[in-house]
Amino acid sequence: MNNADQPLLKLENITKRFKNLTAVNAVNLEVATGEKLVIIGPSGSGKSTLLRSINMLEEIEEGTILFEGREVGYVKHNAKRHLDHPHAISTLRAEIGMVFQHFHLFPHMTVLGNVMEGPLTVQRKSAAEARTIATDMLIKVGLSDKRDVFPATLSGGQKQRVAIARALAMRPKLMLFDEPTSALDPELVGEVFDTIHTLADEGMTMIIVTHHMGFARELADRVIFMESGNFLAQGTADELFSKGQDNERIRGFLNRLL
Amino acid sequence: MEVLIKYLISRAFVALLFLCTLTGICSAAGDYDQLFRQSSDLMAQGDLDGALLLLRQIPAPVAGEEAGAFVSSRMQAGRILASQNETNKAIAVCQEVLKLFPDNSEARNFVAALKDQLKPGWHTVLADTLRFLPSLAKGALMTLLLVLCTMLVSPLGGLLIALGRISTLRPVSGVCWFIIWFFRGTPLLLQLFFIYYGLPSLGITLSPFTSAVIGLGLNYSAYLGEIIRGAIQSIDHGQMEAAKAIGMGYGQAMRRVIIPQTYKRLMPPVGNEFIALIKDTALVSTIAMVELMRAADQLFNTYFNITALALAAVIYLVLTTIFTFIFEKIEYRAGIYEQR
Repeated sequence: MNNADQPLLKLENITKRFKNLTAVNAVNLEVATGEKLVIIGPSGSGKSTLLRSINMLEEIEEGTILFEGREVGYVKHNAKRHLDHPHAISTLRAEIGMVFQHFHLFPHMTVLGNVMEGPLTVQRKSAAEARTIATDMLIKVGLSDKRDVFPATLSGGQKQRVAIARALAMRPKLMLFDEPTSALDPELVGEVFDTIHTLADEGMTMIIVTHHMGFARELADRVIFMESGNFLAQGTADELFSKGQDNERIRGFLNRLL
Repeated sequence: MEVLIKYLISRAFVALLFLCTLTGICSAAGDYDQLFRQSSDLMAQGDLDGALLLLRQIPAPVAGEEAGAFVSSRMQAGRILASQNETNKAIAVCQEVLKLFPDNSEARNFVAALKDQLKPGWHTVLADTLRFLPSLAKGALMTLLLVLCTMLVSPLGGLLIALGRISTLRPVSGVCWFIIWFFRGTPLLLQLFFIYYGLPSLGITLSPFTSAVIGLGLNYSAYLGEIIRGAIQSIDHGQMEAAKAIGMGYGQAMRRVIIPQTYKRLMPPVGNEFIALIKDTALVSTIAMVELMRAADQLFNTYFNITALALAAVIYLVLTTIFTFIFEKIEYRAGIYEQR
């Protein structure tokens, strides 16, 4: 059902306001199946808000979200927009994996329990089946030896890899990474990047918000520079990072980081 | 009239004898038999003071002298004094014998028994304890039953109230706010009175036990509701987002992710509430429930014996100590995942 010419995700005219502040300003975006998109930009530019709007963790004021060509998340009723029925939103979220800056692992469940939780509770799979899926995912992120410990005993990098496994256990069609390495000690960043790399090589469609330019350059098919809720520039990593970049603000931002 | 004359004569006779003793006329041992007889007569007439006076005229024997009369007279005096509750004087009289004859077992045993009577010794307390314990235990069982029923009802009620309070549906949160406002804002005693004495006028008659459980249950649901709401809202918001992000609905996220994490945080304040509950059950004694407090009060009023109240205090302490211990264990178990 996913035609080659149809984007997996299409955002039309997305606008999100917080009281007086416009966090995301009439943004349009298409993400093709298998594409690796990296969004960069200064703090408060609306990157995370845009990412969170995609799976309805933020309710947008205007615009349309199309996932696999379907309009999702909102319904029009008497010319007014409403969030869709909670069940419909949950169904959509189950198809979109999300990884947070601060992991948000469930501290009262073991590592295996965290990864099993989605298949078990949301997809209502049997415990045995969920266990098999979770074990596979933990092998994929290289943490099968930690399956029976609680998250409190893990390092930050290990926690984030468990969080990735938890998202993957739902077999998502799209992965959203919201600054996945920003809360990590520098020496732990590499293991998380390696895990994301493995996923990318398998053809997972992903949108990554990050401050690590080297990673963006290495992984991204396309990089978007966002500021004040707008896309200021987009292109391949080389185009955006090249010295010939004529936009002064992007150059300033990159110089501060590189 | 006749009694009075006899009394006066005996008194005169006693005085005469006394004078005789003083002047040494009446010193022969054989005369003591008559003294005993006279004192018995006086006792029979009810004149114990007179009898005592006679008995005391028998002097202590000089070394080697026959001592039977002296010993008998002092023992007899001791018994008379003991019967008048003059325990100290009785002991003093008997000790006159022991001073001269330390091996006299009769005197020694009697003094020992008298001394036992004087002090409220441990065996007195033990006897009281054994006497009071059955009814206190019955009361304590009722207290325990009330506590357990309330402990079963109020966490469920509290959870419903807490979830209602954080609901985005205005009528639901409004009703739950009202419940908390009302039951926290009025005395438990008044609530119990209202349920047991007030509701019958509205055609609802409840047994004392049902009234007590409803009153305590509602009151503690209101308190626990606020505690549970606080605990739920103290869980990092990211947990709810992470649960939603893998596709969980609100109910699933609450049941599987949020509420299990509140257990450890809930235990200290909930333990506090339940300790208070054990003592608050004493209030239901006012609505015709015989629980521990009422049982102790009844014993105290019947026997005017403070041991009943002291025992009740001990039983309350035992109950609160056991529950404190259990709550600490549960708190430890609930937080085991936080250990590194």
